[in-house]
Amino acid sequence: MKCLVFSDNGDNAGEIISYFYKKMDIDVICNDSVIDYGADSVYKYSNGFSDNLSEYLLEMYNKNKYDYIIISSTNLGRQIAGIISDKLNEKCMPEIFSFEKNDKIVTKRFFYGGKTVLEEETGFKIFTISPGIFETKKIDKKSNLIEVKLNSSKYKILSEKQKSASGNDITKAKIIVSIGRGLGSKENIEKIMPLVDALHGEIAGSRPVCLDYKWLPEDKQVGLSGKKVKPDLYIALGISGQIQHLAGIRNAKTIIAINKDKNAPIFEECDYGIVGDLFSIVPELVEKLKK
Amino acid sequence: MDIIVLIKQTVDMDQIKLNDSNEAMTENLPLKTDILSKNAIEAAVQLKEKYGGNVTGIIFGTEKATSSMKEAYAMGVDDGYIIKGYEKSDPLITSKVLSDKIKTVKNDLIILGNQSSDSYSGLLQGLLASELNVSLLSNAIKIEINNGNVDVTTESENKDIIMESPLPAIISVAQEINEPRLPNVMKIMAAGKKNINIEDADIKYEDDDKTLSNKAPENKRKKIVYEDNNGIDEIAKILRVVK
Repeated sequence: MKCLVFSDNGDNAGEIISYFYKKMDIDVICNDSVIDYGADSVYKYSNGFSDNLSEYLLEMYNKNKYDYIIISSTNLGRQIAGIISDKLNEKCMPEIFSFEKNDKIVTKRFFYGGKTVLEEETGFKIFTISPGIFETKKIDKKSNLIEVKLNSSKYKILSEKQKSASGNDITKAKIIVSIGRGLGSKENIEKIMPLVDALHGEIAGSRPVCLDYKWLPEDKQVGLSGKKVKPDLYIALGISGQIQHLAGIRNAKTIIAINKDKNAPIFEECDYGIVGDLFSIVPELVEKLKK
Repeated sequence: MDIIVLIKQTVDMDQIKLNDSNEAMTENLPLKTDILSKNAIEAAVQLKEKYGGNVTGIIFGTEKATSSMKEAYAMGVDDGYIIKGYEKSDPLITSKVLSDKIKTVKNDLIILGNQSSDSYSGLLQGLLASELNVSLLSNAIKIEINNGNVDVTTESENKDIIMESPLPAIISVAQEINEPRLPNVMKIMAAGKKNINIEDADIKYEDDDKTLSNKAPENKRKKIVYEDNNGIDEIAKILRVVK
């Protein structure tokens, strides 16, 4: 059995290769030299768009008769998955975080916005993989690296603005202090920073905090539409626990919640919780940690 | 500028309760217009207001979707089609049915939400772009029309890119593109009287995947919750261990 993996993000490519390594043979199309994870061949491209990358993927698929096409669910990945699914008239199983093959394939994915997990038996050939779920694992043997030239695209980039990556990647953090609407204002972030510092943690936030109010940069957003994190400790401050947020923290080992609303759903999904005012509780915790 | 906006109606997922076997109970749940569909409607109506033209709404779902279409009318959509006869969620089927309809409606631009809030699959945009052979611009946070081209600021994981593409095109929008308007009572009243075209879908479909289970993930959290100023010492102890 062999599969063709596509990702426009080296980290996500590494996660997928590590997950499928030894389950089947893997070739990868990526814009990064992801040669350390156990793929047979890495086809490295540049200037990829939805049109020329789809063409290349289809050409590879038709030439090498892969059993499966596995695409990381990035913005570009989802576009390509849709195009390929239409061109091959093969259904795509989206956003999976588990793939087991016995007689048939059994996959798992979130449904109803993260409320449930759908476990499905499928004969599909195309899958998209939720990023940030699997661990990467380097192996000793290097993959063949082949630079490829794509056809020209009908799309033109007029300008590009790199989003400044703000500090460390929260998907790799061991301790995360995460803030929600309950923090009240951007200025209040400095009131909880002593806790972040005392724990040597990373700060993160809910969707409203990162996208609507922009108290934190977008790459700090935890949730179904943001990053899925897997820290040893996740501290939720003033986060009510919308289902989409909870889907992003299912893999946290321990969750601590502080919220003044005792009916907040986060208390149903935490290991330890305190009902109360975070602005008095956080300084007390910091004080005790100093001792 | 003739624009088609694709609208999805979903169950109100915040209202989903679990039964004793941890399964979601979805019978008789209230229905609502998917949040990203509202952003798509707002984006389409804003483009009409700026460049002139007509906005047609299309919903693939059930007859119950009339409430969502009326909401779209109240927001400024000019006419609408509901294609009924399907309650499942399969992007490939959805794209075939929608593209059959889209081919009969004059359009320069098709707008839809980037990912639906139930499955987050995000596949429909690519399926339709391929099936209709039009350009695809994804996760838009800004749309402008320039000399027969469309310029879209698209938000990707690590950068914002302004891309130019020829028309016709399909554009999926991100939630950050706009704040959907709240129509006033007059508009809502007027929308209620407008005609909605309801048609039957022509679906040839075999189930080729099988749901083994659809349950809430098992909750193994300890759920030790302190009230009335208690718990600080206990939490501090845990923090010290992890740290």
